Formats: sequence, structure tokens, C-alpha cells
Amino acid sequence: MFDLAIIGAGPAGMSAALTAADHGLTVVVIDEQQRAGGQIFRQPPETFAGSVLHPTAGYGWATELIRRFEADPRLTTEFGWSAIGVLHDDAEPDGLCVAINHPEHGTRMIGARRLLIATGAYDLPVAFPGWTLPGVMTAGGVQTLVKAQKIAPVGDVVLAGAHPLLLLVADLLIRDGVPVREVAFAQSIPTPVDMLRALGAVPGHLRMLTETGAILARLVRKRVRVSSRTIVTAARGTEHVSRIELARVDRRWKVTGAPREVAASHLVLGYGFSASTELARQIGCELVFDSPRGGWVVAHDERLQTSVPGVFVAGEPTGVAGADQSRAEGTLAGLGIAASLGRAVPAAAFAEAERGIHASTRFSAVVQSIFEPVRGALGDLATRETTVCRCELVTRGELDDFLESSPFVSNVNAVKLSCRTGMGPCQGRYCENSVGAILASAREQTIGLGGRFSAHLPIKPVPVGDLRDLDAVTEQPASDGSDTGRSAS
Amino acid sequence: MTTDGSWRHTAPERGDAVTISVDGEPVRACTGETVAAAMLAAGAAFERDRSGAPRAPLCNMGTCFECAATVDGRLLTRTCLIPAREGMVIKTPGRL
Repeated sequence: MFDLAIIGAGPAGMSAALTAADHGLTVVVIDEQQRAGGQIFRQPPETFAGSVLHPTAGYGWATELIRRFEADPRLTTEFGWSAIGVLHDDAEPDGLCVAINHPEHGTRMIGARRLLIATGAYDLPVAFPGWTLPGVMTAGGVQTLVKAQKIAPVGDVVLAGAHPLLLLVADLLIRDGVPVREVAFAQSIPTPVDMLRALGAVPGHLRMLTETGAILARLVRKRVRVSSRTIVTAARGTEHVSRIELARVDRRWKVTGAPREVAASHLVLGYGFSASTELARQIGCELVFDSPRGGWVVAHDERLQTSVPGVFVAGEPTGVAGADQSRAEGTLAGLGIAASLGRAVPAAAFAEAERGIHASTRFSAVVQSIFEPVRGALGDLATRETTVCRCELVTRGELDDFLESSPFVSNVNAVKLSCRTGMGPCQGRYCENSVGAILASAREQTIGLGGRFSAHLPIKPVPVGDLRDLDAVTEQPASDGSDTGRSAS
Repeated sequence: MTTDGSWRHTAPERGDAVTISVDGEPVRACTGETVAAAMLAAGAAFERDRSGAPRAPLCNMGTCFECAATVDGRLLTRTCLIPAREGMVIKTPGRL
């Protein structure tokens, strides 16, 4: 079996893989995408001549990290494969079996002594009237289509939410000649006190902050309206978005007045991110609710081992903190895993990795505090008619009625069992946040008290036939550790 | 297609041209492009939900399943994750 299986080839997964290989570990890296980079550094396809990754300012290291990762003959990679679950290996007390699935090649089982969850994050979903209409997309979705697939929306675009990623996406769109009408932020413009605190976090991130200022200047020059204390309350249209409703909000994001209408055919949403933790949930890792750090995040010790022995975590699932911190955590996890397998890791290497994390934490903590979503107010954007669970078509009204008729229900899993919220193909990724906020509001309790959806194998739905191979023979690395002897076409 | 609400290509160099079939209609794509991106650029409709309401990709990163379709007979395939290939058959019959 492999020494280490890594799920996710973003900044955390790539740096962990290289670090682990440097300490002599056999490593396999699994990612759903076709190429390394993760969502933040999604690369254009190799077939797109002349299209290369242009990392956002401040992330210049990404190009070199990806190059080193892709060129490293020690690493086994499985792109286009989804990790659908992890089982304990009955034959090997210290072994784990990772089930991976491919839309054309079915299911394979990969054996590993250690697992690293580096599954990243996805845009925080917020349910409001019209959010299921074509033309409504997340900021991450639009960014990856524009940067990696080289397509751009036609027609007027409005961006709304609460995260600075909206500014980067607006800038990308303008560079492609897309008419951006407005960028609406739910918060106030940062106060002088916020700015002072941000300055303390600047070293190492100066270029990123400078770039944000330059983007704002470009938006103003292009006469893009940048609004604060403004939230999107509805998307309207029949077959596609044609109008957006924007309303003023108070400091706690409560709508204070009648909305105004803006004509637009695309609405880009960016309220921040949710950590992708379903694999950790399926394995049984302990999670904690930490709102500024992305909701439910995976608990871990000082070397990033989770509550499940042999299972480590790095990057956004430990708390959404950006690419710098993900890269630093990947390095620390790689060292911790090597040490846990008996490899000699000098104390100085750990100390350096920890310094890298502390440096990035100073910045990410400021960003988290300024841009923490007001989850209660976002939950209130869903009206009775609003679809909260997009997969199972469950409305806010159905949830409210159930909660009123079942006064002792205080847990989101109980709501799931009764209302089917979270039982569709996305398996709750896109409604857990809303259900949690709605439940917390109904019971006058904090969101974390309502718990989280559980996750089971397969954590992403696959045809029943693809589950037959869960008892297939576990694959081993080739003796040189560089290849499984099986090509992933 | 250049109507409002659709998508257009921005980089001219896109790999070799291929043709996929979406609900019986030919859709031009190229190697490296995902099926979802090709469908967006062609203005093709995605699978409707079971109330008959239109849906389209939301996340483009394999988590929301809004872009799922039947691809070469395989149900619930996320079109945002799979590269287009010559002769691929996509069907959006509507969800159960």
C-alpha cells in the first residue's frame, strides 16, 4: 500500500505531497479535476495553446509549486477521480482503503497507511428567491469558467455578496469586456480601525492588498457601481435571470428598505466559503463549528492529525484561511505524516513549517474577522416560497411548518430525516448552511448547537453498479513507488 | 450565440474541434473544454428539476450537481468535470 493518499491537489495537497516524498514516502494524490492547482489555481486545459495560469498577485509561488508537483516522478496522481469514501482495511490493522470513482472507469480501491484530507472549500451557499434560476452562479464558478475554460458571460452582470473575491472576479470580467453593472457588498466599507488592524497583517501580503486597491480604481474608472450595505434579495426571470433586486441593509445585514431593481442577465454570488468536510465526516473525524473560519471545520492536533488516527487534514478544511496558509499547512502535514511513519524529521523543519503557518494566520485572521458572514441574516433572505434544498425542492415554508409542529426537533439531521433537506445529489452541501440558520433562528440557539449533516459512503452519488467494486483488491504502488502500474486515462 | 444570458469564447486557441450531441442536437466543442462549458457557450439547456423549472451550473467545481446529465448512458454525471470528446452523447431528460 501507499504510505500516503492525499485527497485534493490544491496548494495544501501539492505541498504535502512534495514534502512527504522528500522524506521517502510513497504518495498518491487524487483530484476530481483534470490538472493540479485546486480551485484557486485552476489551470486551463493543456490543449488550449497559449493559455497558462496567471495566479492572483501575491500568489506568485503557485506557478512554481504546480511545476514542481507536475514534474515530480516520485508522485502517483489520479486526476479525474473522485474520492467517494474511506474504509478501514480488514487485512491491515494500520491500513486505510480509499474508494475512488471515475465517470468512465468505475470504482477502484487504493490502500494507504495515512490519509490527508486536503479537499478545499466551496462558495458559501445562500438561499434567496430566484437563486435556482439559470444565470445565478457562484463567484468561484464564474472565476473558473473565465480563467480555466476561457469563456465569458454575455449581457450585464451584477456581483453581490460579502467576500473580496467579488472584486477579483469583477476585474476578470471587465478585462474580458463584460459589462459589469454593480458590485454590492453587504458590509460597510472597512472602518479606519479595520484598516489599521489590516496593516499589522500586511508583511508578505502587500502585493495582494495593493492589487485590491488597483482593482477598485479600475472598477471606478469603468464606472462600475461599488455599493456597501447592500444585499441581493431576489433574482427574477422565467427561463433565465433578467432582473436583480438589491436592498439596503443595516450593520447586521438586516434589510431596511424596499429593494431597487437592476436589469442583469447574470448574478455572481460571493459570500465567502464553506470548508469541504464531507470526507472527514464520512470517516468519523471530529468537527467544530467556527463561523469566521468557514462553518464546520475539522478538529486536529498540532501536527494536523484529526481525531481519527492516521487521518490528517490541511488547507481550508481546517478553517478557510487562504492559499498561503493552505500551502504552509500542507508542508506541516507532510512532515507530521512522515514522522508518524517513523521517518526522521528534524525539529527545525517543524519549527519552520509552523513559522509559515503563523505568518499567514496573521493575515487570514484579519480577513476572517472583516468578512465573516452574518449567517442569521442570510438565513432570513429565504422567504416561505424560496427553495432551500435545491435537489429535493424543499421550501423555507415547509421547514418553518415542520419546525413549528415539531417543537422538540433541534438538530439539522432530524430536519433532514423529516423534510429531505440534504438527501439529494449534492448531499446537503448547498442547504446545510440555510437549514442550520433557519433552525437556529426558530429555536433561538446558536447555529453550531444544531449540529451538522452526517455523510456516508459514497459521499458523491455514483451508479449502484459502481459500488460492486468496493470489495475489489486494493491497489499497491509499484516497487519504485512511482506508478501503480495502471494508467489513469 | 451572443444573446444576453449566454456565454462566449474569449481565447481563440482552444484545442481540436469535436462535436458532442446534447438532447439530439449537435454542439461544437473542443478538446480540453468541459461539457458544461461547451453547453454554456452553445446556449444549450441543462437538465430541469422535477418541477420542470430550468437549472444551470451553479458552482462549476463538482459540488452542486446542477450541471449533472446522462452522459453516454451514465446517469447523474457532472458535466463540469468531464472533458468533451468526439461523439459524446448528453441527455437532459429531467430529474426524478
